[in-house]
Amino acid sequence: MVKNRSFVTLMLTLVALAVVATGCGGGGAGGGGEQKAETAAPEPAPAAQPAGPTGTVTGTVSYTNGDPDTQIKMDADPVCASLHPEAIETETVIAEGGKLANAFVYVKSGLTGSFSPPDSAQTLDQKGCRYFPHVSGIQVGQKLVIKNSDPTLHNVHALPKNNQEFNQGQPFQNMELEKTFDTAEVMVRFKCDVHPWMGAYMGVLDHPFFAVSAVDGSFTIDGLPPGEYALEAWHETLGSRSATVTVASDTVSAASFEFAPAG
Amino acid sequence: MAKPPKKAPDRHYDFKGLNIAFAWSSLALLIVTVWMMFADYAKPWKRFQAEFRDRERQALLAEARTERETINQDKLQQLEQDIASEEQALAEQRGEIRDLEKQRTGFAKKVYAADADSRQTKSLLDTARYTYDVAVQSGVAERVTKARTTVDELAAQLVENRIRLEQLIEAREGTEESLEAKRAGLAAAEKRLEALNSGVDSLNDRIANLDKKIDYFVLNAPVMDFVQPSLKIEQVILSGLYQNINFTNVDRVDRCVTCHIAAPRSGFDGEEWEEPLRSHPRLDLYLSAASPHPYTKFGCTTCHQGLDRATDFSRAGHTPENEHQREEWIRKWGWKPQKFLDTPILPGRYTEAGCVECHADDVWTPNSQLQDVGLDLVNRFGCFTCHVIDYPALTDLPRPGPTLRRVASKTNPAWAYRWIEAPRDFHPSTWMPHFFYQENIEGELNLERQKAEIASVVAYIWDNSERPTYPDPPAGDVASGKALYESVGCEGCHVLDPQAKRDQFYPVFNRMNGPNLVRTGSKVSAGWLYAWIKDPKKYYANTRMPSLRLTDQEAADLTAFLMSSRDPKFEGLSMPSVDPEVRDALALDYLQANQTIEQSQASLEGMDDHARDVYLGGLTIRKYGCFGCHELDGFDDAKPIGVELTEEGSKPVHQFDFGHVHEVAYRSDRLTPAAETEQSKADESGHSVESAQSTDAPADSTTVRHIEHTRADWMFTKLMRPRVWDQGKERVKNYGELYRMPDFGMTQREAEAVLVNVLGFTRESVLAHRKAGQGPEAAAVAEGRKLVTWYNCQGCHLIEDRGHAIATAIEDVGLLPPNLAAEGARVQGDWLFGYLHDPGSVTMRPWLGTRMPTFGFTDEQVNTMVAYFSNREGRETFLSQPERPSERSLTVGKQAFEMLQCAKCHPAGPSVAVAGTSSAELAPSLLLARERLRHDWVPDWILDPQSWIAGTKMPANFPPQQDGSYMSPLPFGIDAPMWRGQKDRMLRQFGTEPELKEFLADADQVAVALRDHIWWNLDR
Repeated sequence: MVKNRSFVTLMLTLVALAVVATGCGGGGAGGGGEQKAETAAPEPAPAAQPAGPTGTVTGTVSYTNGDPDTQIKMDADPVCASLHPEAIETETVIAEGGKLANAFVYVKSGLTGSFSPPDSAQTLDQKGCRYFPHVSGIQVGQKLVIKNSDPTLHNVHALPKNNQEFNQGQPFQNMELEKTFDTAEVMVRFKCDVHPWMGAYMGVLDHPFFAVSAVDGSFTIDGLPPGEYALEAWHETLGSRSATVTVASDTVSAASFEFAPAG
Repeated sequence: MAKPPKKAPDRHYDFKGLNIAFAWSSLALLIVTVWMMFADYAKPWKRFQAEFRDRERQALLAEARTERETINQDKLQQLEQDIASEEQALAEQRGEIRDLEKQRTGFAKKVYAADADSRQTKSLLDTARYTYDVAVQSGVAERVTKARTTVDELAAQLVENRIRLEQLIEAREGTEESLEAKRAGLAAAEKRLEALNSGVDSLNDRIANLDKKIDYFVLNAPVMDFVQPSLKIEQVILSGLYQNINFTNVDRVDRCVTCHIAAPRSGFDGEEWEEPLRSHPRLDLYLSAASPHPYTKFGCTTCHQGLDRATDFSRAGHTPENEHQREEWIRKWGWKPQKFLDTPILPGRYTEAGCVECHADDVWTPNSQLQDVGLDLVNRFGCFTCHVIDYPALTDLPRPGPTLRRVASKTNPAWAYRWIEAPRDFHPSTWMPHFFYQENIEGELNLERQKAEIASVVAYIWDNSERPTYPDPPAGDVASGKALYESVGCEGCHVLDPQAKRDQFYPVFNRMNGPNLVRTGSKVSAGWLYAWIKDPKKYYANTRMPSLRLTDQEAADLTAFLMSSRDPKFEGLSMPSVDPEVRDALALDYLQANQTIEQSQASLEGMDDHARDVYLGGLTIRKYGCFGCHELDGFDDAKPIGVELTEEGSKPVHQFDFGHVHEVAYRSDRLTPAAETEQSKADESGHSVESAQSTDAPADSTTVRHIEHTRADWMFTKLMRPRVWDQGKERVKNYGELYRMPDFGMTQREAEAVLVNVLGFTRESVLAHRKAGQGPEAAAVAEGRKLVTWYNCQGCHLIEDRGHAIATAIEDVGLLPPNLAAEGARVQGDWLFGYLHDPGSVTMRPWLGTRMPTFGFTDEQVNTMVAYFSNREGRETFLSQPERPSERSLTVGKQAFEMLQCAKCHPAGPSVAVAGTSSAELAPSLLLARERLRHDWVPDWILDPQSWIAGTKMPANFPPQQDGSYMSPLPFGIDAPMWRGQKDRMLRQFGTEPELKEFLADADQVAVALRDHIWWNLDR
């Protein structure tokens, strides 16, 4: 335990150094960026840009010393088992080549103003007795469509702490259910009581600045107004990591997170 | 001629002098009268009322301003434009409208004329009929014929008249309608404008009421204010809630609202509103008409105490919260303590004492924060065993401690000696108090006396103890025992934690119901423990400890695990040596109470060493009242040893013994850190503090507090330092006369919770029918709650929103013992009766590790429980079985059951109920439903499970709709190819497909059908 912690500390220090190093590099690139800006000036600004200048944050979430994932047994429901002739792995820790997927990265503080929810709906699909997406984000007031794509009974049981709990059965294929959340909450867990291996997590935020790391650990949050922000990366079993990032207009800032096995 | 005398001889007084004296005294009287009238007029409460009126008006003006701003100006303009254009349009049609109006007037005149004609014809007809009657009477045929002709003519004319009248009315209405149609646009626009302005208008009305117009000044002017002043004493008469004035009970006349004018009204709770012009902080519970304690029925002093009739700040009995407030009050209001007021207003932090008088029939007071916990503490500490407290919640309770009748087989005398010396050394969180080594019995001689007393108590107990033998248990496995301890449910009532704290209250509180199991191995013998956990009732029939129906191996494993918790400090102990002279002197003291000195000497001589120990032991047990908590032979006749507390809250302050003590030091670790109290500063904690230590001071640091001569401060001091009043009295009191109240090691939080209740144990001041929870249903609920508390059901279950204490040990919410919300609405009384008697007979939730234990309830206890659950839900306790439903309902139920895949979670037939083979281990078996569940409850549950038990795993299959109804999902799936068979089978019960679909779309019918299927179709 103690050994492990010192190892984590060491890794974190290394990562911090790495971040500083890339930060310096970024600064250098920024210096070059000014030159570029002159050449790039004639180019028209991106059309989809919202009012005011904004910047982007990208980075990677990495994972060291990961354990291999275990396999899910779906024998309990023959319908589910028949949907997967081959064994499938759990989604708790997906890490390939030291990169961690399904980490929820979001702006924790530093934002001012309010952000109205988008008109588009977020979807949570129950397919092959699993949730898709396994980790996602949604805005307060944004429509959430929960769909059952399986020819078997699922119940979607949301277990929020600050929002209204719900537990809705969907016995038929292609049934849909619409919900919204009223309060920001990271994270809301979803489970299916019929199929205990099924789980999903959704970050409810009052702004649109969040992302979920891809299989290569990468994430991108764009459209951020310039400023200094505290970011957090959340993972369902590995806990949370924090970082601060300064966003300038029309630049790409870097932020990285390093996870290690819990405990 | 004699001169007339200057003075009349019969006048012995001086006119002029008298006139002057009279003038002055008249003037003085006038001044005094004016002064009196002014003093009477300028009552401070008038100032509050006038100020409140002004401020409310200001607030309303501000609100009206913002309201006006929120009105959509565009909309307002649009509406005003609309009105203008409508008016314009009307103006353009002026000629037409004038014609129409003229027409209407014409028609109206004609209607009037026609109506008059018609009436005239009718009266003529009546006359003609009379004439006809007379003609018939006369028998002259000619007259008869003539009269008949007149009648016929007039009748025909009446019909004509009526037709004309109706035509004219129709024409008039026609013109009216066309006029209205022309004006409709304008009327609608005006109505919309009115609606838009309604908020502001109603505010303006309220403001107008508060405006100070001439009538306000006239009505409230001096002398004039006897007519109908707007500033006046507000009072409410509370029948059945009485105040004892000079030995007479009179109804309370509550006048608090005269100054606290905003208290029963909502909306005055912003920072700008200060007492007395502030809303009550909990209008949901108090004062508002919708709350359980409306102002007109309960007033204020019923709960807060104080003098109900007073309209003067000091006389009302306001009690300052702290030194700071006292000084402020003296400065601001000229506050004076009320020496002769027995019931001053309760200090804010003890207000819940006001709940007790009405709520003490019940063990729980809904929504109380401190009083509830305090009553539970009184129960757990066993205060009621030494002090009679004549309230239903605290009488007829079993002894809270374990039996000592067979203790010799459980542990050894040296351990018992060590335990009695200082129970908290062994179990820091124990409820057993310290009787010995207290502050009023220090010194070498007293130390020897106490050693002799403890040793003699042990000698008495061992002398009177039976000695059943307990063979060594079979070999057990510590690891399996630990796993069992953590899963089977022990943790609902026990902790095993040397750091456990008692004052964490709920929910950890429930886990303190049984002893902390740490160091068990150093306390009891393994053989005893094995026998005890297998069948606790065999050792002590009145124990609260239930049987978990452990197998021999389970019991052996658990024993091995519990015995593994040991502490060498408490092992291999030996009895200390006692000075026989000191013991004999103590025994002699007792003997001399009833015998001469010589006789008592002789009696002592007649006893051997052991007999002397046992003799002294028996009397020491009597002295300290051990028999109150523990079952012991030889004390059946013993009376409680303490002062009765039933009316302690009404005891006059001068009857409390404050001794010679003015300030007292408390161990800092027993006080609530200042940061946790509501007031942020230490000097605001009510007791004036002279030297406050920082909160993280070492455990042996102390804080000195001044003692106020109030009931609350005396009780607080007594609970925290029970023997402190003997300070300075060592010389004048004999050893046997010193205070005996033991030290429970209470923290400030505990002491305050207890004292809130003791403060509330007042002389009867409420008529029985005005108390909470009256009537047979409420009595059944109160009885049940008493049992639920005693057996600590809430250690495992959630009952009435409290409990699930075991959740602090079981992380997975899905593995918690059942939530018993709505249990009375859910299960049948007969079934519950059987289940509570023998919970092992059925395994309802095979996925749970915890077992419902067998408590060995009596029939009476089980009936109390069953009645409690059903009355709590307002249901009949026992039901008759329903009739068999229609075939259609049974068929639809069966098919819907398949389509909704209920059996995915609920075992519904013997074939799938094999544990571990399917996911059908997630929900109770439906084979039990018919015996167990209430017929009327099942459809309600199916429709909306979350509303019955929040967080249940049972999903809502019928999404609730805006209008409160539920949507059936079946129409969505019925046409899918995979359900063709089900559809066909259902169709056979219906004529047509639309008819079937209509049935399936009705959630209520489907839920009933599902219930019918579960009830009648399932194999059992």
